Amino acid sequence: MMVLGLGLVLFGHYSVAGTPVIEIEIKDHLFFPATIEIPANTKVKLLVINRDLTAEEFESYELNREKVISGNRKAVIFIGPLPPGEYPFFGEFYPKTAQGKVVVIDQ
Amino acid sequence: MSHAIAPSVTSQPLRFSRCLPLLSLLCVSISNYSMADGSVVDKIYHPYVDALEQELEFRAIHQDDQPEAEDNLQLYRFGYGRAFGDSWFGEVYLIGKKSDETGFQLEAYELEAKWQITEQGEYWADWGLLMELEKESHENIWEFSTGILVEKEWGQWSGTANLVVTQEWGSDIKDEIESSAGLQMRYRLSRWLEPALEFYTGQDTRAIGPALMGNIKTGIRKSLHWETGIIFGIDEDSPNMTLRGLIEYEF
Repeated sequence: MMVLGLGLVLFGHYSVAGTPVIEIEIKDHLFFPATIEIPANTKVKLLVINRDLTAEEFESYELNREKVISGNRKAVIFIGPLPPGEYPFFGEFYPKTAQGKVVVIDQ
Repeated sequence: MSHAIAPSVTSQPLRFSRCLPLLSLLCVSISNYSMADGSVVDKIYHPYVDALEQELEFRAIHQDDQPEAEDNLQLYRFGYGRAFGDSWFGEVYLIGKKSDETGFQLEAYELEAKWQITEQGEYWADWGLLMELEKESHENIWEFSTGILVEKEWGQWSGTANLVVTQEWGSDIKDEIESSAGLQMRYRLSRWLEPALEFYTGQDTRAIGPALMGNIKTGIRKSLHWETGIIFGIDEDSPNMTLRGLIEYEF
């Protein structure tokens, strides 16, 4: 436990500064853009801006992420580092229209 | 029609660095106290809060023979919980107990709060804090537990640790501080089925065994989450076998 406590101190100042930021808008229960390309093995910060009045939830089992974004609010979602491939996501509140995917490209 | 975006970002969990002194102190402190007695095999908590979520929960644990414990002890928890904002989740429980010596009886009440400290994926690992206040229904026994919840993702694997310190007090118990831990390594095979291996340790328990869990969508923002596990004791003090089950209706 003492080792873990020490580990907390050592790792706690790890910074995420410099993480690439990608903006996604939710409007009329659609994601814009619906397809996002990111480099492989890189952590990325998604800034999701919900321009609808109603809440939406960004959900993806493949990305292991769930995040509610209230109406007219923003939220941050960190994804990656990921291997190349396609990772679908959808809006839990309006799944018929709010669909998208993250494409991870090997560079 | 355009809508101005409110200036405040959806409130994110508190910055990790602010919580370091508390977390570090708790980690170091765990090593200085006796390990928890009683059943420590239970649900493994994940350090995440899903905003707007409510849930109804039922948990059951059955352990067979264990030295210094009632035979065929069964513990049941019935809970209702809901999120408060983006980073807090509160739950109230009624805890029932049954064994070969006693019939079913209401054993305790519990209040629980979970705090998601860091944003998922932002740091090397994800961190949360669990606080529980429990009162025995027929005796003057109180328990207050504080637990560190930490989860680390490796591709489709997720490793989770719950490190808990419990203070017990009251006129019907000798005051003491105990510690316990639960570890889980889970493979995210699919939304419906995730196999896992779990390890638990406390004063009278060191046990390991497989578990299965999954989610079933039942509608928009409605799902059933289930877990089951068979946990085997690995020393003489532990129950030979503990069965655990959980079902949550999330809405």
